[in-house]
Amino acid sequence: MPAGLNGLLPALVLIVLFFVVPVLALLLRSVTEPEPGLQNYAALLGDGTYARVFFNTFLVASVVTIVTVLVAFPVAWMLAIMPSALASIVFGVIILSMWTNLLTRTYAWMVLLQRTGVINRTLMAAGIIDQPLPLINNLTGVTIGMVYIMLPFMILPLVGTLRAIDPMTLRAAALCGASPFQAFRRILLPLSLPGVAAGGLMVFVMSLGYFVTPALLGGTSNMMLAEMIAQMIQSLLNWGLGSAAAFILLVVTMALYALQLRLVGARRISGGA
Amino acid sequence: MKLITTGVLARLLATTLLATTLLATTAARAEDMVFTSWGGTTQEAQTKSWAEPFTAASGIKVMQDGPTDYGKLKAMVDAGSVNWDVVDVEMDFAIKAAKDGLLEPIDFAAVPKADLDPRFTTDHAVGSFYYSFVLAWNKGAVSGDPAGWADMFDTKKFPGKRTFYKWSAPGVIEIALLADGVPADKLYPLDLDRAFKKLDTIKSDIVWWGGGAESQQLIASGEATFGQLWNGRVFALEKDGADVGVSWNQNLTAADVLVVPKGAKNKDAAMKFLAAASSPAGQAKFAEASGYAPVNTKAKAEMPADAVKALPDAHVDGQINLDMNYWAEHRDEIATRWYAWQAK
Repeated sequence: MPAGLNGLLPALVLIVLFFVVPVLALLLRSVTEPEPGLQNYAALLGDGTYARVFFNTFLVASVVTIVTVLVAFPVAWMLAIMPSALASIVFGVIILSMWTNLLTRTYAWMVLLQRTGVINRTLMAAGIIDQPLPLINNLTGVTIGMVYIMLPFMILPLVGTLRAIDPMTLRAAALCGASPFQAFRRILLPLSLPGVAAGGLMVFVMSLGYFVTPALLGGTSNMMLAEMIAQMIQSLLNWGLGSAAAFILLVVTMALYALQLRLVGARRISGGA
Repeated sequence: MKLITTGVLARLLATTLLATTLLATTAARAEDMVFTSWGGTTQEAQTKSWAEPFTAASGIKVMQDGPTDYGKLKAMVDAGSVNWDVVDVEMDFAIKAAKDGLLEPIDFAAVPKADLDPRFTTDHAVGSFYYSFVLAWNKGAVSGDPAGWADMFDTKKFPGKRTFYKWSAPGVIEIALLADGVPADKLYPLDLDRAFKKLDTIKSDIVWWGGGAESQQLIASGEATFGQLWNGRVFALEKDGADVGVSWNQNLTAADVLVVPKGAKNKDAAMKFLAAASSPAGQAKFAEASGYAPVNTKAKAEMPADAVKALPDAHVDGQINLDMNYWAEHRDEIATRWYAWQAK
C-alpha cells in the first residue's frame, strides 16, 4: 500500500459514512417500502406528473446555469483585470453575500419582486408599465432568485481561469487586426472554457436539487423535484416513493457528470487545465 | 481499511446520529419537555397561554420547537428517537397517524375529559383549538366586498390574484365544490373531478400559501387581493391594524389537535401539559389571544364578551364542518391527485 493512502483514510471514512452509507440506505428504502419490489420506480416512471416535474427540474437548472454564466462572465473578467486591492474588495462583497442566510436572501427577493414590490412600484411610478410585471411565483422569479444565489459559485472558478490567461494574447490578437469581439470569441472564450465548464457544472448540479428558493419564488406549475420529494416525505409520508425519486435524480446527475468528464476531461473540470 | 469492520462502522454511524439528535434538542432534562407547533402568531399565543403558566405552576420547562413536520414526526417514531413530546397537528392527520401506530394513547386519568368537546377528542388526541377558513381580502386592493366563495372564482368581477392553502388538506376542495353550487350537506363524498374542474378555471390566478405568516403577508401587501385564510390569522391582521375585510359566509371549520408521538421521552410531563392546555383557563387564554375557538366547553365563560364575538362559534349561521373522518380515510388518495394537479 503506498504511504500516501494512509493519509487518505480519514477522508475515505468520512465519504463512506456521510455519503455512501446514506445513499445505500436511500436505495434500500426505495425498493423495500412499503413492500419489497420495484413498484416505487414503476409508479414514478408510469406517472405523467413525475415526468413533468423532472423535465421542469432540468429546465430550471439549465436556464439558471445559462443566465448565471452570462452574468458571471463579465464580472469575473472585470475582477481578473482589476487592480488587486480593488478586486479584493469586490471579492469581499461577493463572499459576504454567501454568508447571509439563504432564507433571508430569498425573502428579500420576494419583497423586491412581488406585484406591490419595489421593482414594480418603481417601474409603474416612472410610467414605464401600467400593470405590475409577473416577476414572482413563476419561472422568472425562480431564475432571478437562484442566479443570484449561484453567482459566487460561477464567478470564483471563472476568475481563477481568467487570471491564468496571459493578457498579451489579447493584445497580440488586436495587433493582428482582430476586432474586440473576434478576440473574445477566438481567444478569451476558448481559453476560459475550463472555468466555465467547472462553474457551470457546479451550478447545474446544485440547481437540480434546490429547494428553498423554488419553493418560495416559484409557482406550483413549475415545481421542481426537491419540492415534490418533500411532499412525498412530509405530506404523503410515502418514503419509499420519495427515496426512489431522489435516487433517480442522483443517478441522472451522476450520469451527466460522467458525460461531462468524457467531453471536457476531468483535469480541465477540476481547474488544472 | 480492514480495521474498519462493519460493526465499527455501524457503531460510528449510531454515535453520530445520536450526537446529532442530542444537539438538535439541546438535550432535554428529565422532566423538561418539548412542544412543537406551527410557529408565528399561533405558537406565540400557545407559549403565552399554555407553556408559561404551566411552567410556573409545575416547574416543568417547556421548550418550543417547530414548525410541525409530519415527515419528521414519522422519522422520529420509526427511528425510536423521539424528541417531541407534544405536537400540534391537523386533526385528519391525527386520525390517520393513530391508525398507523405513530401516537401514544392519551392518559385520560391525567387529562380531564368531561368538559372537552367530543368532536375534537379521540383516544389519541386532545383538541388544541378549532378554526374556520374564512374569506379575507385587502380592502385597498378589492373594489366592492366579495360575498362568498363563489366570488373567488369570478375573475371578471374580482380580478387579481387569489390565495389558497397549498397543501392537500380539508378546505380548498370543499370551497371549489361550494362555489360550483354543491349544497353544503351534499359535499361528502367529495366529487374530486368536479372540484378540480372548477379550480382549473382560476388556476393561473392562484398564489399558494404554505404557512400562516405567508397568508398574512400576501393579503396585507396586496400581492393577493383576497384569499382563504385561517380566521386567527385574519384576527391577528386586524389587531395589527391592517385594512382587511372578512366574510364568514359558509366558513369552514376544522381543528388542530395535540398529540403525543409514540415513544415520547417525557410522556408524564406531556400528559400534564395536555391537561393544562385543554383546561378551561388555558383554552380561554389561548382563544382570547388567537381568535381561534376553544375546545373546552367551559372556556367561553372565562372570556371577555368581545373576545367571544371574534370566535368561529359566533358565526355558526351557514357554518360548515369539514369532515375530518372522511379526510383521514381518503388522505393519501386525495393528496396524490392534489399534487399532480398542482404540478400540471
